[in-house]
Amino acid sequence: MINLIKNTVINKDNEKVSITSIIFLNRKFLLLSLFIVIYAFFAIFAHNFNSIQNIESIMVFSVEIGLLALGETLVIASGFGGIDLSVGSMLGLSAIVIGELIGKFGLNMWLAIIIGLIVGTGGGLFNGLMIVYAKIPPLLTTLATMYLYSSLALLFSMDQYGNAMPISNFPSIYSIFGQSSVLGIPLQFILIFVPITIILYLLVQKTIFGKHLLSTGTDEVVSKLSGINVNKIRIWVYTISGLLAAVAALVETSRIASARPDLGLNMNLEAITISVLGGTYIFGGSADIMAVFIASVLVIMLDNGLFLVGVNTIWQTGALGFLLIGALILDLVIRRRSS
Amino acid sequence: MQLFKRRESVILFFIVALIILFSIVTSGRFASYSNITQILVSAVPIIISSIGMTMIIVTAGIDVSAGSIVGLVGMTVSILSLQGIWSPYDWIIGILLGALLGFFNALLIWNLKIAPIIATLATMGIYRSLVFTVSGGRWAIGMPSLLLWIGSGTIFNIPFSIFLMLAFVIYFTYFMSRRVIGRNIYAIGNNIEAARISGVPVGKTIFFIYTLAGVLYAISAFAILGRTGLAQSTMGTGFELEVIAAVVIGGTNILGGEGTIVGSLIGALLVAVIKDGIVLSNIPPLLTDFVLGALILIVISIDVILKRREIA
Repeated sequence: MINLIKNTVINKDNEKVSITSIIFLNRKFLLLSLFIVIYAFFAIFAHNFNSIQNIESIMVFSVEIGLLALGETLVIASGFGGIDLSVGSMLGLSAIVIGELIGKFGLNMWLAIIIGLIVGTGGGLFNGLMIVYAKIPPLLTTLATMYLYSSLALLFSMDQYGNAMPISNFPSIYSIFGQSSVLGIPLQFILIFVPITIILYLLVQKTIFGKHLLSTGTDEVVSKLSGINVNKIRIWVYTISGLLAAVAALVETSRIASARPDLGLNMNLEAITISVLGGTYIFGGSADIMAVFIASVLVIMLDNGLFLVGVNTIWQTGALGFLLIGALILDLVIRRRSS
Repeated sequence: MQLFKRRESVILFFIVALIILFSIVTSGRFASYSNITQILVSAVPIIISSIGMTMIIVTAGIDVSAGSIVGLVGMTVSILSLQGIWSPYDWIIGILLGALLGFFNALLIWNLKIAPIIATLATMGIYRSLVFTVSGGRWAIGMPSLLLWIGSGTIFNIPFSIFLMLAFVIYFTYFMSRRVIGRNIYAIGNNIEAARISGVPVGKTIFFIYTLAGVLYAISAFAILGRTGLAQSTMGTGFELEVIAAVVIGGTNILGGEGTIVGSLIGALLVAVIKDGIVLSNIPPLLTDFVLGALILIVISIDVILKRREIA
């Protein structure tokens, strides 16, 4: 009996690894070739697309949504219907906490940033604890906390008349996170987004945590039986997602020099879309950090290029939808061919 | 005792407690006839849409394009009526459009085997862009009163939309528990492979529920139009999450296989009672979402604890 179970487990595991590795390879290849094609297209047809300023602005805009998509990727990869609808609200909450502490209470900037990061991380931790210990499905938990956190953000930003107000009196040094550049590359791209991507890549691909994460997402029961602390991994991924949302809040408030409670509005579904475009399997068990990184730059580049070609900005969400369906159809074709 | 273990009873208990609490706080104004009808009317679009969403979630699917379909149908119908097309024709066009959009979702989900959440995420974006294209970014206002009648008309001093909503809830409750297609929906949600082997037409059923959901979103759009009297390009944004919240508060298992339409009705009523009560009892409206979120967590935690005790 035990032998039987073990055998099926091994078979299943082997099969899973080979399939996912095939998709991994193809997804990165797919996205990179799409990237080159779209880039070449816009470089020829869009005025000013290939200029340094424009490339810089693509980098700048890809950071915030990219960070959210990376968090979303880890969460989805952990399986059990893993999804985080509250990323946008955590972004708004952290942003308003940082803004209030600096702008209203005159706290030291660095201390305020640390508290803001802690708030975002705490929000993610709360999600994880509810999902693991209260056993509420992730979609529900994060739907509820989406409402909770965005409402808290509104509450913190309330002035004495009961209206939600933005905060804009940041010290000028605060703008380094979102408005400065290193060697001509925007600071938030080269010193925040790229390092975080590399760290997460190493975390998923090279550490035991990453192996456990993917196996938890692939088959929870088997992982539990083989001694993986499934609960701990789930709590960790939601916490990381919260932390990344807080980092995105820091970058965005610094870039626009203002903190508003509704900063993350509607970013949750976009982050999920980018993550899926990056090859994250929605039922868990696979996460390709590099592909998600490429996907977030690709999506922003597409928005930017379409705008420069003169397509109305209202088609940005539609283009994202078509891109998603297109990528999935290509994926389907490739998978059929290779199997 | 069996009754207390049902999610519906837990939530009904909450609703009654909240109604009593709000009535005391507002010294009776909350329980007045006009306020109660107001709550019901504001809940109608969510309840009608939640019928379709319940069926979808029972099959372990989900539809986040609901809000965009509401927006696209509402906007298209308004523009057509402003160009002088007779309102009953507008309704027919709106319903057909809703059906078509739902059908397209099913096409992606069944024929291309895209996971429901991803397929509807993509169509959510596409349909929303179409709303802007149809409207050109402008508001539509000044629609003929006949078009608005579904949402604003009254019969014997009771809003027509309440009758409409009750008729839908009663028919589809019967449909889900007594008709073959209704039972097939549960069979698919419990075990899709077993359902297929025992001869359930899985593909046809999936197409049926997503198309039906599209039709129900279209009718919700008429009800919203009647209440507000204007159509904006942002009409229906966030609507899908409200509907999903109502459905899951009402006891439908997000992983499929169980859930009732009456439950979703009660879930939507709970949300409507909270929203209205907060305004009437002078709590800052910024807190509405906070209470809503906290309530989802509390109700479901209680439910999970009760179920766990049952197993133990």
